[in-house]
This record gives sequence, C-alpha cells and structure tokens, in this order.
Amino acid sequence: MEAVAVDEITRVFEPRRRSGTRVVALDEVSLTVPTGEIHGLLGPNGAGKTTLVKILSTVLLPTSGKARVLGHDVVADTEAVRPLIGIVFGGERGLYWRLTGRQNLEYWGALYKLSAREAKARAQQLLERVGMVDKADERVEEYSRGMKQRLHLARGLMGDGKVLFLDEPTTGMDPLAAREFRSLIGELRDEGRTILLATHDMVEAEMVCDRVTLIDRGKVIATESPRTLGRVLSRFQRIDVEGVPSAVLDEIRAMHGVTSVTAIDGVGTRIEVDEEGATQLVLERLVGAGATSVRTSLPSLEEVYVQLIGERGMEI
Amino acid sequence: MHGLVAGFRLELRLVRANPDALIPLVTAPLFAIIFLAIFRQSGRPDLESDALMAPVLMSLWWIALLQAGTMITGDRWQAVLEPMIAAPTTLASVLLGRVASLMCVGLVSFFEVWAAGWLFFGVSIPFEHPGALALTLLATAFAMAGAAVAFAALFVMTRNAYTFINSASFPFYVLGGVLVPVAFLPGWLQPVSSVIFLSWSADLLRASLKEPDVDDFWIRLAVVIVLGVISFAIGRVLLHHILRRMRANGELATA
Repeated sequence: MEAVAVDEITRVFEPRRRSGTRVVALDEVSLTVPTGEIHGLLGPNGAGKTTLVKILSTVLLPTSGKARVLGHDVVADTEAVRPLIGIVFGGERGLYWRLTGRQNLEYWGALYKLSAREAKARAQQLLERVGMVDKADERVEEYSRGMKQRLHLARGLMGDGKVLFLDEPTTGMDPLAAREFRSLIGELRDEGRTILLATHDMVEAEMVCDRVTLIDRGKVIATESPRTLGRVLSRFQRIDVEGVPSAVLDEIRAMHGVTSVTAIDGVGTRIEVDEEGATQLVLERLVGAGATSVRTSLPSLEEVYVQLIGERGMEI
Repeated sequence: MHGLVAGFRLELRLVRANPDALIPLVTAPLFAIIFLAIFRQSGRPDLESDALMAPVLMSLWWIALLQAGTMITGDRWQAVLEPMIAAPTTLASVLLGRVASLMCVGLVSFFEVWAAGWLFFGVSIPFEHPGALALTLLATAFAMAGAAVAFAALFVMTRNAYTFINSASFPFYVLGGVLVPVAFLPGWLQPVSSVIFLSWSADLLRASLKEPDVDDFWIRLAVVIVLGVISFAIGRVLLHHILRRMRANGELATA
C-alpha cells in the first residue's frame, strides 16, 4: 500500500475582496509515496508545497481531487488519518510560548491519547533525541529560533505517526543542528516511517530524499530520485580540465553543442555542453591534446532546479 | 475524555503562567464591597446576599466571555490551531476541558466575596440551603461552560470580538438579573430574560440563601442545566461548521 497517494488534487483560493486575485495553489497535482520512502517536495516560495502538506494533514480541504494517507481519504476519513500522521510546520509560532517545552510536548501527547505517564515518558525521550533536555523546563518564549524548530520536530513525533509531514523543518537551525536533523530523518525512515519533506533547500533534498518532486506554481514538474533528475539534464554535463593549450580551448569553444568555456579561478577550465554526444567529442579532443586531468560531472539538483524553474529570484 | 482532561490541565498551566486570567478574582471582592456599601447605605441589609452573589456570577460570566470566548482565536493567532485540528482528539472536547478548568478557577470568587463581606462589613449570612446553593453554583458553572463554547465558536468569525465582549457583559448582567432581579425589569424584557440561564441561576442562588423554602428547586435547576446543554449544543454545531469552513477557506492559521 502506498503511504501517500495524491490524485489530481487542485486547490484554489478565491479572493475575499473583489479586488483580490484568484490563486490556483495546486493544479491537478498527482504523486505517490511508497511506504518507507523519504520524499522531497522541492520548490520555491509559493510553489504549493505547504498547501499540499496541509491537505494531506487534513487541515485544509482540496477544491477537487482525492488524496489518501495509508489508504484513508483525507477528506472523508479524517478520523482515521489523524492518528497515523505527525506534522511539523515549524516557524516562530505553533507552540504555547508561556509554557515550557516539556509542558507543550505533554499536552500534545494527551491530544494523541497518551496517558499522563506515557506522555511524560515520550516527551523525555524526544527531548533527549532532539537535544533539548537542558532547555526542556524553560518557557518556549525564551527559546531561540533553532530551539523552537527542534521542539516542533519533537512535537510532531509525539503521536508516533507512521507518516510524517515536515514543512521546512530546518529553517532557523544552525548547520550542525541541521546535519543532526538529517541524520534523525534517516533514523526515522529506518524505523519504518514514511516522510514527506517540503523544502526549498536543494542541498537538504539531495542529501536526504529518496525521490524528489519538483513543484512550481502549483504544478508538478518532475518526480525522480535526485540523481536521476540530474541525469534528465545529462546533456548539460560539464567537463573540468587542466593544462589545456588555449588554441585547443578555442577549437572546443567553436564545436557544436558546447555552450561555454570558462576559466576556473586560474586552476583550470570548465567546459559546458547542452547536447547529447557533445561530451564525447569534447573528451576525444582533450585526450588528443594530451590533457590528463579531466573530470566530468552531472549538474547538481540546484542546477536542475534553476534550469527547470528558471531564474525567478525574489519574484513569487 | 482524553481531550477533556488534556484541556483541563493545559488551561490550569496557562493560567499559572499567565495570571491575567485571574483578574476576575481581584475584581469580584471589590464589586462585593461596592454593592454591600450601596445596600448598607440604602438601609437594605436584606439584599446583602444579592450583593455577594452578583460578583460571583459576574466573574464567571466575564471568564466565559473573555477568557474562554477568545480561546480559539488566541490559539489561531499562536498558530497552534492547525496542529491541534490535525490531532486525533476533537477540539470541542479540549475546549470544554479548558473552559471547565476556568470555571473551577472562577468559583474561587464565591469564597472571596464572602470573605470580603465578612472582613469589611461583618456580613454573616446563614446558608439556608447549602446543598441547593452548591448544586446551583455547579449547574451555573456548567451552563457558563456551555455558553463559553458557543462564544468561542462565534468569536472566531468576528473581526471585533473584543468590542462585543466589552459591550456585551453589562446587558447580560441586567437581562440575567445578576444584581437586580428580573421581576423588577419592564414586562416586555422578561421573556428575553427567561431564555438566559443567568436569570434562573441568579434567582435560584438568591432563593437558596434567603428563603425558607426553595420552590420548584429541581425544576428550576433543570432549566439552568438544560439551557446550558442547549448552549453547548449550539456551540458544538457552530464549531463544527465554522471549523469546516475554515478548513475549506484555509483560515485555520493567520498570515
């Protein structure tokens, strides 16, 4: 059984005022996540990631389409879905800031129908797991952003959900904490959980996810493993080389399928191609010129992302 | 049951962390002193029990209206409403638990006003019917809780809940006969008062303190409870529809 099955989900936000704009946040989005997979939802701000996470976690109704979590419809069968999931929305809010971290977790445990003793024990366990034991009995209002983020993660795990929805979970974390978090994600998957990770952090998606769905303006652009997505644009390979005479580089620059030949900080030269077969021709010419330090690479997920979605910059 | 207990404990912790919720416990004895002074000056010692019961009802009402009535709005602003909705426990049960907790806190005002009356004015009123008094207080707190759930649901959808809360208290004190019995109101207002549980509670509390016999006690008590149940039922239905609407419109979280 698939852990998550999304079938042509559409979500439209109608304007509240006449002067407002109708927003199609999701446009017939379909995807499936098998049990035990870490699946990334990668896209820029406003792509629809959070909207999809909210629909799957039953806090938002879709306009049309169907979605199921562990076989249960998220609209018709919310009572069956809710005990099975955990959500981490993150951010500065989302916790009772006048209570301590521990008190927040114990409350959430009670919402997941844990007894007082069970909630206490699980809260302690999770506080240890996310490295928050020392701060557990301080008020949330005194926590840093990163601490709140860790507590959000602990809160999302209180229900021991089989499917976890993580929405930008490492926002505000320092690099070390983010790395520890990624390690934790792996542990959670090893425990048999399925994880849907919404992020705009390409490095994180590449490091953690089994597969990634690229989403933009409410539409799915591609769903593949991070490596395969890189191969989708394999024609955009790059060749890094050292010690090649400039005459040879000029010759390569004029070859069909070569898009650029640029120096790399005085160390060598990067040659980029955009056609299948061009790589081989370039390599043959370089070897023929006696070049010995040659390296080819696929584009990173970031480059795939930018190539497919485009240089939108700050524009939403 | 889990939600009820979870809500009850949560609210006690929140009250301890944020003592603003205890303001009625400060104002109740002050109101008692004011009313007692007025009645003493007017030569009406027979109204001393009214002077003491009114602040208790006012405190419970204020808690129901302001504290409980803005619970969902507050949770929404703190962005805890969404994850709460996604949890297996229903919001209505949690809400009821939280409100019940507040009502327990509010009932402390009963002891405060009597202490204030005794300290400042030497008031010593024998409890004619202590059992009836206790049951009426409990039924009143229950009905207040029911009303609070209805307010909580209603106030989520209003932009100016606080304006309504600030202006709605005193009309209900009048219509509820909290200080001045409903019998003294114009005749055309009395049917309106009869559907407000406060009026029944206030009359029953006065009767249980003063009168040799409390006529039709069980029927009058039942009316308080039934009106409370109706309030809760209305609140529950409203809450269901409002939450569904919020889920449909994506309004569970504020921007």
